Amino acid sequence: MSMSVILQQRLPRVARGWNTLGATWRQLGEQTRFYGKTIGSLVDVFMHYKGELLRQVAAMSLGTGSLAVIGGTVAVVAFLTMSTSGAVASQGFNQLSQVGVEALNGFAAAFVNTRLVTPATGAVAFAATIGAGATAQLGAMRISEEIDALEVMGIRSIAYLASTRVAAALIVVVPLYCVALLLGYFAAQSITTWFYGQSGGVYQHYFNTFFIPADALRSFVVTVAEVTVIMLVHTYYGYNASGGPAGVGEAVGRATRTSLIAAVFVILFVTLALYGQTGNFNFAG
Amino acid sequence: MTHGTKETPPPHRPWAETKALGFVRGLGKFSAFSLDAFLAMLRPPFAGREFLEQCWFIIRVSMMPTLLLVIPFVVLATFTFNVLLVEFGAADLSGTGTALAAVNQIGPFVTVLVVAGSGAAAMCADLGARTIRDELDALRVMGVDPMRALVAPRVLAATLVALMLSSLVTLMGLTGGFLFAVFFQHVTPGAFAASLTLITGVSDVLVSMVKATSFGLIAGLIGCYQGTHVGGGPAAVGNAVNETVVYSFTLLFIVNAVLTAVGFEVTK
Repeated sequence: MSMSVILQQRLPRVARGWNTLGATWRQLGEQTRFYGKTIGSLVDVFMHYKGELLRQVAAMSLGTGSLAVIGGTVAVVAFLTMSTSGAVASQGFNQLSQVGVEALNGFAAAFVNTRLVTPATGAVAFAATIGAGATAQLGAMRISEEIDALEVMGIRSIAYLASTRVAAALIVVVPLYCVALLLGYFAAQSITTWFYGQSGGVYQHYFNTFFIPADALRSFVVTVAEVTVIMLVHTYYGYNASGGPAGVGEAVGRATRTSLIAAVFVILFVTLALYGQTGNFNFAG
Repeated sequence: MTHGTKETPPPHRPWAETKALGFVRGLGKFSAFSLDAFLAMLRPPFAGREFLEQCWFIIRVSMMPTLLLVIPFVVLATFTFNVLLVEFGAADLSGTGTALAAVNQIGPFVTVLVVAGSGAAAMCADLGARTIRDELDALRVMGVDPMRALVAPRVLAATLVALMLSSLVTLMGLTGGFLFAVFFQHVTPGAFAASLTLITGVSDVLVSMVKATSFGLIAGLIGCYQGTHVGGGPAAVGNAVNETVVYSFTLLFIVNAVLTAVGFEVTK
């Protein structure tokens, strides 16, 4: 008759709450260990699993299954960034014209798109396409016991499945983010000049004056950080899926929720760390 | 082929079933499904209990993500705006920036993320699990119409919850922006509150609510469509949820861009 038995009999609700807390805490530890192992095994990927890495790069950039029908990851990312930048440009144009300075819309696009809108939209797009896709694949492999089969064959499953996907995502994301950023600027410009009829020269002038190239580089840092976190979360939930075919679906949903939250916090803290409290911005030059 | 093996002619297919038209076919099926769902909503025996349970389900799934997503987003936006405003020497107007961000853009944006990423994904996983266990066919055999019993209450629940969530998002966003501006960026609280309503008015709040309602409707329809059209195999449900997330994000972002532009023309 230890303390825990007495606790369970006398205060069942407290004991249950305590157990849930313990389980959550343990799961957090498991997760951390998985992430550490995945990152640590990145070396193995480049040493032993180069072929699988290339295959993942190809699959991620073009998309698989029915996603490939609508143009793959590239199309989805392009679509999402264009529509958010378009929405922000039309919002900006209308609000700025209320104070009579709609000419500054080019400046708003250069500033807000680079620092905030494109990294945030990119996070959503990457989590939805390559992230959720990885969870679905790994989850299906887990419940059809393919991962156990890999282990039996002597393949390091975390390195072969999770680390290759993280590495492939980091390789794929750089050109994808270039596309996203460029299309975001393009959408903002075409909304302002074609849809609202501002003259192209005015837009170009303010855009070029206030576009900070270093900001674009910093936003790459933000994106790489957020994609690392997104892929780690998604591979964890896929690798540890359970509960049959239905469990895979639940794992995808849970992974998307978790990775979106994690990505936004990463964006927030990396942005604050990169730009500092003053914002590192000089309007007057 | 080269060694004289007899080539079997491909089975004859009408041109409408070619693979290239798969996307269009999916679109047509989805439209038909949506019409069916709307009809099912109007036909009398309304599954009220299921509706309430689904509302509670979606709220339970999306409450935490909402709260955890909106605060960092608004803090980011407030930070970016305030950097500008401090540079102009107009930090007192920071409430304007926060209100603009929270009501007009971040409110709908976060609602999209939560409704599509959490609500529709969870709904699709739930319905997909039932579909692959042939529960929907069992319902049909028992004379229960799954559209009326399962789909209609889910779509309505997603619509209602999206509307409520957007209000929550806006309120949480304004509070978070206020705290960040006042305690971290040293803006006067009175000036912040006074400048909140400078450009953002009732019409913006209404447009934001209309946006959220339509997001909920579309995300609910996509989630239910994908959930009820799951094929066999263990990878199918996972892929269906993945597709739900991708399609609903894509569609809702476009709808957001269009409604933003339309909203300005209407409220002018």
